[in-house]
Amino acid sequence: MIEIVLRILIYGAVLSGIWALTASGFSLIFGIARILNFAHGTFFVLSAYLSILLIKNLGFNIFISYAVSVILVGLVGVVIYKIMMAPIREHEVMVIIVTLAFALLVGEVLLLIFGEHGISVPSFARGFVEIAGVPITWKRISVFIAAIVVIILLEYFINRTRTGKMISAASQNLEAAMIVGMDVERLFVITMFISAALAAFGGLLYAQVFAASPIFAFKSLIFAFAIVILGGLGSVRGSIIASFIVGYILTITINTLGARWGEFMVLVTIIGILIVRPTGLFGVEE
Amino acid sequence: MSEFYRDPKIFVIVVLLILALAAPLFLPDAFVFLIGLTYLFIILAISWDVIVGYTGQVNLGHTVFVGIGAYTTALLQVPSRFEGTFLNALAGIPQPPVFISILLGGIVAAFVGFVIGVITLRLKGYYFALVTAVLPLVFIQFLYVWSDIFGGEEGFSVGLERALAPDSTGKYYIAFGLMVISIITLYFILRSSIGYKFRAVRDDEILAESVGIDIVKYKVLSFVISSFFAGLAGAAFVHYRITVGPSLFDIPLMLLIILAAVIGGLGTLYGPILGGFIIYLMKNWWLKSISGISAILPINDEVILYTILIIVAILAPHGIWSYIRLGVNKISGKAVR
Repeated sequence: MIEIVLRILIYGAVLSGIWALTASGFSLIFGIARILNFAHGTFFVLSAYLSILLIKNLGFNIFISYAVSVILVGLVGVVIYKIMMAPIREHEVMVIIVTLAFALLVGEVLLLIFGEHGISVPSFARGFVEIAGVPITWKRISVFIAAIVVIILLEYFINRTRTGKMISAASQNLEAAMIVGMDVERLFVITMFISAALAAFGGLLYAQVFAASPIFAFKSLIFAFAIVILGGLGSVRGSIIASFIVGYILTITINTLGARWGEFMVLVTIIGILIVRPTGLFGVEE
Repeated sequence: MSEFYRDPKIFVIVVLLILALAAPLFLPDAFVFLIGLTYLFIILAISWDVIVGYTGQVNLGHTVFVGIGAYTTALLQVPSRFEGTFLNALAGIPQPPVFISILLGGIVAAFVGFVIGVITLRLKGYYFALVTAVLPLVFIQFLYVWSDIFGGEEGFSVGLERALAPDSTGKYYIAFGLMVISIITLYFILRSSIGYKFRAVRDDEILAESVGIDIVKYKVLSFVISSFFAGLAGAAFVHYRITVGPSLFDIPLMLLIILAAVIGGLGTLYGPILGGFIIYLMKNWWLKSISGISAILPINDEVILYTILIIVAILAPHGIWSYIRLGVNKISGKAVR
């Protein structure tokens, strides 16, 4: 019994850390630009495929390839923003449709090139350690630590740096931010880069422990939805806290009922939250 | 009456009606079958337009209602699927006539739409889009979990004797009739005060609310109407193809519906009819022939369709119908409405 509890505790923490990165990225760009980016899950899997290409075909070092693919995906995010989102940002319906179409387009191309089987990327660390009789791989521990470090960096960036403060100011009131002379378009581009890079890093961590596949782009997007609805649309701190709630709900469901109930539980969670507390834990009133 | 003869719209409609009714006489059987399916697809495109184009609420789970309609009618016709499951009690229910069961497919879909709408549409903003995007995945998961009943990935057959008609020509006319009835019904709904309220909600929620429109009520009503026709068409698909399965309503179908409505023009009713006709035929006929490229480049028919959708949505977000109307008005000298 204690073994199962401990396993759920640790596995849940690893999963939650990964989702926290992904969901806070999704929340950031929504918060500032009111863009609901349905291609966010695509950034999540794209980085795993990119780093595999870099390692296997170009012989890159693991750490360098991770850094390069996170930056590349961040740039892809910026390009997508410039080409597909900025021209139609006023037309909210179209932003959703275009980003969804882009996500499916990339998914289909990945499917044609790599096939439907998932891929895993090499991990930071090998071996395992025994905690109270339960063997835990260093892989999971290193992934969890990496996720926590990035979350702390993100919190620091948003609350302590000048650009970060500008981003959160513009998220609270875009018009006021424009009036005091902020270049909001530049903030959008920076936020988009960070948002896509966070998803990319989340995807890399996920693909170390589990496997990324083209279909997973859509699933990861849906988990991100559940988290931001629970945390409140547009609240980064809400997303981080909600990731741990959703991460544990998922881990408990998968360990007790089986993996196929994962999405179902996520939907039940979303509907439950919407009935009880529509604005989420830390939602912005709209 | 004199206006009746002069209105070019009536003339075009009459010509199209004659063409559609005569088509089975000179087209090969396979085409007749495909065009009949296209008519059912058009019902999906216009019903999606009701909630998205006319009411401004992004519904990404339209295919779920297609699926609910489909499985409702299929299970009503083959209740023996329930045997030996926890729903054993339902195995003995008598089978309703095919058309009643298609109608019931629409009603059950509308009911599910009502429940989901009441929960999500009372919230302003994006919750509806997010929840409806999750629905298809959960629905397909359901079908796999209870594969004893739903037949899992394979689906199941409702039997030849429960087809819409014994041959393609008969099916074609029934599908055409269903489409015409759906178009006329939606035309009158959208032309009535209800339709104007939908558009008021879409254009400015705060203004609509301040003139006394119950915006939640009309959003839910729009969603229920949209879901009803989706379920109806889904049920008709089952009796057209005789089988039911998850491949009937997966994510590519959702994109096809979006593509048809966006290319045709959101919120125009006629646009999605035209878009649905072009897109469905293109996907199932013309694009099949280019699938040979995928051996060399990572491109297949879906990749091309998604690319078209992105380009159209960015460059011509109002669709082709607005251009046609502009052109017609220029020729006939009428002022642009």
